[in-house]
Amino acid sequence: METVTWLLFAVGISLILAKIGDSIIERHELPGVLGELLMGMLLGNLVYFGIVGPEYLPIVSGEGFTTDMTVVANFLAKLGIIFLLFLGALDADLDQLKKTGITATVSTVLGVFVPLVLGWFALMEMGYPSREAFAGGVLLTATSIGLTVRVMMDLGVLKSEVGAASLSASVMDDFLGIALVIFAVGTGSLLELSAKIIAFFVITGVVWWFLVEHYVRFAERLQVEKGVLGMVLGMMFLFAALAEGWFAAAIEGAFMMGLVLSKLPEGKRLMDDVRAIGYGLLIPFFFVHTGAMLNLTVFENANALILAAVLTTVAVVGKIFGRGLGAWITAWGRGRDFLFTRENFWMSLQMGIGSVPRTEVALVDLMVAIHGGAISPEHAPEFIAATLIFITVSVLITPPLLKWAFREEIEITRAQKASAKVERIENTKKRIKELKGSG
Amino acid sequence: MEVEAALEKFHSLKLTDIMPRFETMPVVTADTDLLSVLKILRTRHHVWVVKDRESMELIGIIRYMDVVDVLLPPEAHRFKLGMTSKTMKSLLGGAAKAEDIAERHVLTIDGDETVLGAIQKMRKYRIQVLAVVEGGRLIGEISLRILIDELLRLLRVGGAQWKQ
Repeated sequence: METVTWLLFAVGISLILAKIGDSIIERHELPGVLGELLMGMLLGNLVYFGIVGPEYLPIVSGEGFTTDMTVVANFLAKLGIIFLLFLGALDADLDQLKKTGITATVSTVLGVFVPLVLGWFALMEMGYPSREAFAGGVLLTATSIGLTVRVMMDLGVLKSEVGAASLSASVMDDFLGIALVIFAVGTGSLLELSAKIIAFFVITGVVWWFLVEHYVRFAERLQVEKGVLGMVLGMMFLFAALAEGWFAAAIEGAFMMGLVLSKLPEGKRLMDDVRAIGYGLLIPFFFVHTGAMLNLTVFENANALILAAVLTTVAVVGKIFGRGLGAWITAWGRGRDFLFTRENFWMSLQMGIGSVPRTEVALVDLMVAIHGGAISPEHAPEFIAATLIFITVSVLITPPLLKWAFREEIEITRAQKASAKVERIENTKKRIKELKGSG
Repeated sequence: MEVEAALEKFHSLKLTDIMPRFETMPVVTADTDLLSVLKILRTRHHVWVVKDRESMELIGIIRYMDVVDVLLPPEAHRFKLGMTSKTMKSLLGGAAKAEDIAERHVLTIDGDETVLGAIQKMRKYRIQVLAVVEGGRLIGEISLRILIDELLRLLRVGGAQWKQ
């Protein structure tokens, strides 16, 4: 069969397995992306262990596997990242973000910079070059709030002060995690890079304030099938191209264009179409492709395990400490008297624990760092293994840690529910008595 | 022939001429509890959410289909990047007021637009209702139900009365 045939086969099998893996893991109330990564790992290692010839599954590249078809598969995966970030930004509610309080803001900043700096220095101590170590630190910055939201909802504490602040903080640290990767992959002097960033923001600002509404109106007037969608995606790819050219990070362009469009109702109405392309094809393929990059033979070398242990420790401890400290020093806006109270400490700890899980943005940053040359091809397998491990660990430990941290609130909610139930029963009994009496 | 003529007239109508009286529109304030909203949605396809009755500043809209997200348990939602906005609208997840579940980015249309313009916009964005807003203040609405009513009225009246 032609090589294109096997690429089509690989895309097909990847999508089917991705959705099955997603479903299996979601049933266990864990992020479905883990299932997609696992399925990718399975496919990739069929090739690495020589069970299936690489020509039959051209989603594995590097180490002599690279062909024209794997280049196409890489590009499809890259489109997946672009759509993921575009969609993430399009879904954002910037008005809500503007209401973010001081606690969420300070804890976001510390929650991003503490693991970044700790990770950076730890990896330099291990002998990794500074740029690679910085990229490693960036991987640890962005929280995936999805799991925390789910657990907090289950525990009935999402609407609490800690729940609301955690939500705002996690949206912001996604933004920071996505932005920081520019400094990892960006080349040239710091001055040159800064100039490019400023120019990029100016262009985005001009589009935001002066162009985007006229552009959408123009697209509406074309009166062609999916005209607005096509024109908007076209603009998004132009931004991605600009960001790829300037920062080797196309995601920044896609993300910014998503934010620009998120202010328009017309942009929000396109989300269903973008989701269909993204979550129906490109995004699951990206996760399977990423999972397929994990060659299990990397664990024959202790470096990968040591790196995984270090990144996992910094990811968990750095986040809890950084975000918790940020929340603690603001004393939740209740003044100095609250600073050294048990309640402040406990709420800050809850806030820190809620920020532990990492998923999508860490993987996106990893891929950008590898493709942008911030992580060398020699060390890429170790970083892939370590990232998948710290993602898995962070996701697995968060639910029990949150349950432990919120145990008092859970007890109070249970007691309230029980007393409300007793009251309802008493009222019903009283009503029955009254009815009997009147009868 | 009569239908064609009626449609021609229908398409050229100005929206302000067929908008319902404001008092008949389903409007609630942002702090209205969810159960009151659900009661309105038993008989209406949407509810406008405004900041307060004095300013009538439009906060958002709750459409019939949005109730699906309200009724689903939190675990039925998918917590993925780009899909989180709907998860916060679950009743069991903590949504309690109209503003918690309202879609804040409302598609609007100018009152001077024609019916044809409104229908084209509805098709383009697969939506059944558009707000008519003046300086952030909700002043009217155009929904498919209103458009159907108007077309049927034109067909019923017919003849010289609407051809003039």
